[in-house]
Amino acid sequence: MITVNGLYHSYSNDKKYAVKDVSFEIERGEVFGFLGPSGAGKSTTQGVLTGLLQLQKGEVSVAGYNVKKPSRTMFNKIGVSFEQSNVYGKLTALENLEFYKKLFDVPTRDANELLEMVGLENVATQRASEFSKGMKHRLTFIRSMINNPEMWFLDEPTTGLDPAIASVIKDIVKQEKAKGTTVFLTTHNMFVADELCDRVGFIIDGEIKLIDSPRNLKLQYGEKLVEVDYRKNGGTVKEKLSFIDEDDRKHLKDIVSEGTIEMMHTKEATLEEIFIKVTGRGLE
Amino acid sequence: MKLLYSFLKDIQLSTKSFYFYIEIGFALIFVAILVFVVPENFEKKVTVYAYIDLPEAVAGPAEKALLGEGYDLQRFASREEVEAELASDRSSVGLVVSLDGSKIVYDYILQGYEDEKFKRIIQTTIEGNFAKAMPEFSETTVVRTIESDAEKLSDRLNILPVFLGLNSAFMGLFIIAAYIFLDKEEGTIKAFAVTPAKVWHYLASKMGVMLITGLASALVATVFIAGGKAHYFHLIVLIVSLNAFGSALGLFIASFFDSMTKAMGWLYVSIIVLAFAAISYYMPSFSPLIIRILPSYPMLFAFRETLYEVVDLEYVYANVLGFGAAAVVFFLLSNYRFKKTLTV
Repeated sequence: MITVNGLYHSYSNDKKYAVKDVSFEIERGEVFGFLGPSGAGKSTTQGVLTGLLQLQKGEVSVAGYNVKKPSRTMFNKIGVSFEQSNVYGKLTALENLEFYKKLFDVPTRDANELLEMVGLENVATQRASEFSKGMKHRLTFIRSMINNPEMWFLDEPTTGLDPAIASVIKDIVKQEKAKGTTVFLTTHNMFVADELCDRVGFIIDGEIKLIDSPRNLKLQYGEKLVEVDYRKNGGTVKEKLSFIDEDDRKHLKDIVSEGTIEMMHTKEATLEEIFIKVTGRGLE
Repeated sequence: MKLLYSFLKDIQLSTKSFYFYIEIGFALIFVAILVFVVPENFEKKVTVYAYIDLPEAVAGPAEKALLGEGYDLQRFASREEVEAELASDRSSVGLVVSLDGSKIVYDYILQGYEDEKFKRIIQTTIEGNFAKAMPEFSETTVVRTIESDAEKLSDRLNILPVFLGLNSAFMGLFIIAAYIFLDKEEGTIKAFAVTPAKVWHYLASKMGVMLITGLASALVATVFIAGGKAHYFHLIVLIVSLNAFGSALGLFIASFFDSMTKAMGWLYVSIIVLAFAAISYYMPSFSPLIIRILPSYPMLFAFRETLYEVVDLEYVYANVLGFGAAAVVFFLLSNYRFKKTLTV
């Protein structure tokens, strides 16, 4: 669905590249997470992929269209949800969506149905300028779905949302994935990436450092340990046991068979820990 | 259709903002000032307080002639009375005419601020009219006018083309940039850019809003000031062309900048330079090439034509075509530039 080969972009049209030699592919129906701290080159890459920034160097194909000379019809196939909410403040939520619908040449979704999906149905006729930041963000999010995009670009889709709404947003992304929508998810939230993405790419200083599935990364970089809290002699004992050491495995088996376990956690690494390990930098 | 929807959305947005109403309000204020404050024609009368110590056979006809030439001549019985009146009315001129033997002596009493040109005009017209009143006077001067049937607008109506030019026609020059930078600031321009709609749809819909606002303000002002005297069809065609030119020029200038703050200086300078044409419009004797080449120069005279009883259609439509063509060129250039810079 997306092929990027040797992508470079410079805002000052010189050798100061915001992204350099970025290459990756995204399969149809895949959710690809683009992880990196602020200023890493995530938004620049998405800007080029969505045609908002000119392709200066490299080859980029999105939904079968060459981004070097993009046709406007490409936008019938893609949807873009921006990190910064960008709706018309003087229009109501419904007017915003109804206007947007008319700009597409493909069948579009019912605006009221979309508003209902994110809990904005009661404020459909309210001006967007009166919305909270989270409400505007939800409106921006559903607007990106209005044309049933085959290729969906989501920039920090859960940022600034309360956990309940963030969960709704994640469920919607999962539903769309189940329908076969390809998703390019830009985020610095490793929990969102972990939950939604089939594969993630780590980008830092404009360069991709690593691409793999969260599972493979955890297996590769995580510690093979289990942390167990169990009852013994009237108290609680906490132990870390290795999956590899024969004695630890035998000891774990005994604890399990005694049935005294209170809590048990595998100690796989989080994506953030892996990111730090790979890049030497945090995600914030 | 995308252009239409975009235009309707922009109209909706503009009617929900203050700007649209400010523009119409400004047109109404302009009308109110012209109708209630500015006279139909400016008063050009000079008040002359005179003591004329001449036989009535000469003084009477001279007085009549001066009154006929637009002077407000008021006679007094002595020089002292004239001087007393002059002290209380600082815009007036004093005149004492007496006989010294067989010669007429003219004694002018001025306020002190009058320039040489004014003094000469006063002297020539007053003495000329006294000379005409002499029984032995015979007229030898012949005046021929090239355009004897030249139509003149009233002073009040003559102000209207300047309003139409600088407000209704060139409205877009400044405002369209503000609209674009506002969209940039809100980020809505990016949302529009990731739809199948084209950049020219976006730009043309903004021009459409400028046109509607320009037409509305122009018609409000013209209907109230010119009434049935204006040729509305020609006026509307002219405004469409000139407003499109102003907006396209505004788009072109705006395409070089990424914020209103940066663009404002250039847009302001453009408006001020274009306004210079009004000087030559009011003082036709001062029309150097530098002013005649300004687009606003022919524009003001084209607007004036639409207010005359007989319209010089050739002149009006030469302007329509010229500015229309220029609008297309600037629009194409703006579209080319904005394709690269609109979302940056």
